[in-house]
Amino acid sequence: MSKRYIVEMHDIIKRFGSVVALRGVDFYVQENEVVGLVGDNGAGKSTLVKILFGIYAPDEGEIIIKGKKFRKLNPKLAYELGIILVHQERILCGNHPIWRNVFMGRELTNKLGFLKINEMKKITYECLSQLGLTRMQVETPVKYLSGGYMQGVQISRALTFEADLVVLDEPTIALSLVETQRVLEYVNKLRNKGKSSIFVSHNIYHVYPVADRFVILDRGRVVAEFYKKDLTPEDLAEIMISIARTGSVPEKYQKLNLKLTYGKGSFS
Amino acid sequence: MIESYKDAGAARLIKILSEYKLQIIITAIFLSLWLVFYIINPPALSNVFTYYSIASVAPFTVLPALSLTLIIIAGEIDLSFSSIMALGALITALTWQALGEASPLGVILGLLAGLGAGLLNGVLVCKLGIPSLIATIGTMFLWRGVVLVITQGFSIPLGMYRGSAIFNILVGRVYGVPVHLLWTIGLAIVFWLILNKHKFGAYIYYVGDNRTGAQMVGINIHRVLISLYAVHGVIAAFAGIIDTLEMATFWPTLGDIYMLKSVAAVVVGGTPVTGGVGTIYGTFIGGLILEFIEMGVLTSGVTGFWIQLVHGIVIIIALAAQGILRRIELAKVRLLRILTEESEEK
Repeated sequence: MSKRYIVEMHDIIKRFGSVVALRGVDFYVQENEVVGLVGDNGAGKSTLVKILFGIYAPDEGEIIIKGKKFRKLNPKLAYELGIILVHQERILCGNHPIWRNVFMGRELTNKLGFLKINEMKKITYECLSQLGLTRMQVETPVKYLSGGYMQGVQISRALTFEADLVVLDEPTIALSLVETQRVLEYVNKLRNKGKSSIFVSHNIYHVYPVADRFVILDRGRVVAEFYKKDLTPEDLAEIMISIARTGSVPEKYQKLNLKLTYGKGSFS
Repeated sequence: MIESYKDAGAARLIKILSEYKLQIIITAIFLSLWLVFYIINPPALSNVFTYYSIASVAPFTVLPALSLTLIIIAGEIDLSFSSIMALGALITALTWQALGEASPLGVILGLLAGLGAGLLNGVLVCKLGIPSLIATIGTMFLWRGVVLVITQGFSIPLGMYRGSAIFNILVGRVYGVPVHLLWTIGLAIVFWLILNKHKFGAYIYYVGDNRTGAQMVGINIHRVLISLYAVHGVIAAFAGIIDTLEMATFWPTLGDIYMLKSVAAVVVGGTPVTGGVGTIYGTFIGGLILEFIEMGVLTSGVTGFWIQLVHGIVIIIALAAQGILRRIELAKVRLLRILTEESEEK
């Protein structure tokens, strides 16, 4: 495991008023790795990736991206550092063509700021082809696309910008089975291209096929981390249920748990 | 050679037609109105002076409507521009009065006043989070009040400066064509370029279409909106100045009639107040339509009281057409979503 770290987050604490969403989270992503960030609703998954993408500022803790230390980020900075967020429909502008959405916020322009429209269309076409999305013209407004296709468009942003880390926040929510399959294929393609991703989901059956490592969040803490090679989907399900019920990992899996520091917190 | 990401021939034509359907509809409305008025009064509509007269008044409605279009696309509104028109023109008129000559300085100060008023709108909306409708109603009263208090309701005659260089540059005539129409067309082209070919235009659309998304990709929404309000302030002041110069008199009520007319021009031009979509071309033709109706109603030989009635009818027709188009659009969205979903099953 001498891989380079893309992202390290140390002791992240985030409070919303009197509610503590994250209670000292340590989290890292290595090069060319797919991390499945799982946990029940309200565990803090979304908050964690939003901090990573600079939408929220952490109250305490530090973020190290490619060796550079940050107190907090902002979306623009995160982009410049090669982090792309894929969100269920939320980032796309429905009335605008696919190519504009792919380049949204990162338009190719000349020195005066005028758009290089043909170049952007060409690159968009090439990236969509890599994902097998050639059915719709690049001029098609995004609102005409199905949910899976939209995710494909968002993921092609990651390919276009040579992002190192793609954060997929619940990318399969509200998608049909076929489309979910599609999205999982996209994630595999990202890994084949040497990129890393964080796959956030509460559905372990969506995460399991693509992730290399699972990070399980519960009530604002990382309670467990496992390599996929150590577990079957059934094991993972059992662990998840146990955490939801008792807040702890079953004894027989503890020796596989990479998060050995767990247990000295306030849980008894 | 046909590049693979483009499609050829007939399919491309159909796509262009569907992409520009709003522009085509608005142009058709304009032409049919012309036809109606022509049938009612052929001699008036054949006379070139009719068109000169439209050309000399249309810019006052169209100019502020152009920058207003950008604000509405970004999902906000500005109602204070009618008062900013008066403010800018007043500053120009007062400067000229003080200097005793038609100095470009007066115009520059007038435009700067517009810039300041626009920035104030932007700050109220963005930094204080006041809904733009309310904020700009406030500044509308504010600047109108400032103008009325300063002038005490009196007009300022500027006829003596006619013929000066600045007059000719702003509202002169070139072969009978009003120069301020050329300014309007020029600015319309600039706005069109910015909106469709420039990064800033793309940001305007994103801010109106999906503000959360725009923020997430790192677009500075406040900067976009404040710049838009500032530009709108300058353009409103400019429209006020050319209006004043064209009339050769500053009236404290200047701009009042243009407020709703400019908003109507944007709406008739196919830009919905919900934001995210809209065109400069539509607004330009929309403004012309409203001016055209005024002229057409008068040349038809009925009283001027009909103007508002016809305006109302055209605005409602335009809105109804947009409503129907939107429904067709929704049906299309549903259909295509199902189609793209199936296509992935292979």
